[in-house]
Amino acid sequence: MQKDIVIKWHLPQPVEKVWDCLTTPALIEQWLMKNTFQPVVGHKFNFYTKPIPKMGFDGIVYCEVLEVIPHKKLVYTWKGGSSPDNLSLDTILIWTLTPREEGTELLLEHKGFKGFKNYITSIFMGSGWRKHISRRLICILNEMK
Amino acid sequence: MNTTPDIFQAIADPSRREILMLLTKDKHTINALAGNFDMSRPAVSKHVKVLYDAGLISITDQGRERYCELKADGFDDIKEWLNYFDKFWHQKLQNLENLLNKL
Repeated sequence: MQKDIVIKWHLPQPVEKVWDCLTTPALIEQWLMKNTFQPVVGHKFNFYTKPIPKMGFDGIVYCEVLEVIPHKKLVYTWKGGSSPDNLSLDTILIWTLTPREEGTELLLEHKGFKGFKNYITSIFMGSGWRKHISRRLICILNEMK
Repeated sequence: MNTTPDIFQAIADPSRREILMLLTKDKHTINALAGNFDMSRPAVSKHVKVLYDAGLISITDQGRERYCELKADGFDDIKEWLNYFDKFWHQKLQNLENLLNKL
């Protein structure tokens, strides 16, 4: 059982144009966030936004470029937390571009909500306690599927 | 010392997940919880505090004992993170679409 975010989005523009928007810092800033991105594997960069103290997020997304295949695929890590030493949200972002007759199919995958998944796994791995789980918790978990 | 409640950090630790599991059955005193672990009572106490700070459990004093109980609301925040990103990306992709239409 896992809960990744997967969103498919159709755009009428060609892949080249969409790619520019995903990889040019000034353009990224216009639709996503202020950033220090460079389309170079190994490049470490940040996104800057408003902090969400309630969720233990300091407003900075710490990233590293993992894969760049021009006009096709872009992968970077997406880490966040309450401080650079405490990055508890350790996820990965994968952009896949596929040319279509009428533009581009853009696939976004946001994966690896680790703590979350470990928790879910451990919930379902035990057996003895399973029937005792409070009903509320079961409800919450069912909603998460 | 960082005091921001951090749910992911809280549930990333196996001992703390074990504590949460125990608490899904019933409320427990810290001593009773400690009885299930090889680690010392202060070590268990420390884990309990992390869970408490993250809003996943509540602690009530009853006489001389401190009872820990699962706080269902706390788990809503985990769900919120996922909902947050789901909404976040839909909104950002809409921004991207709008931007591309203008370029």
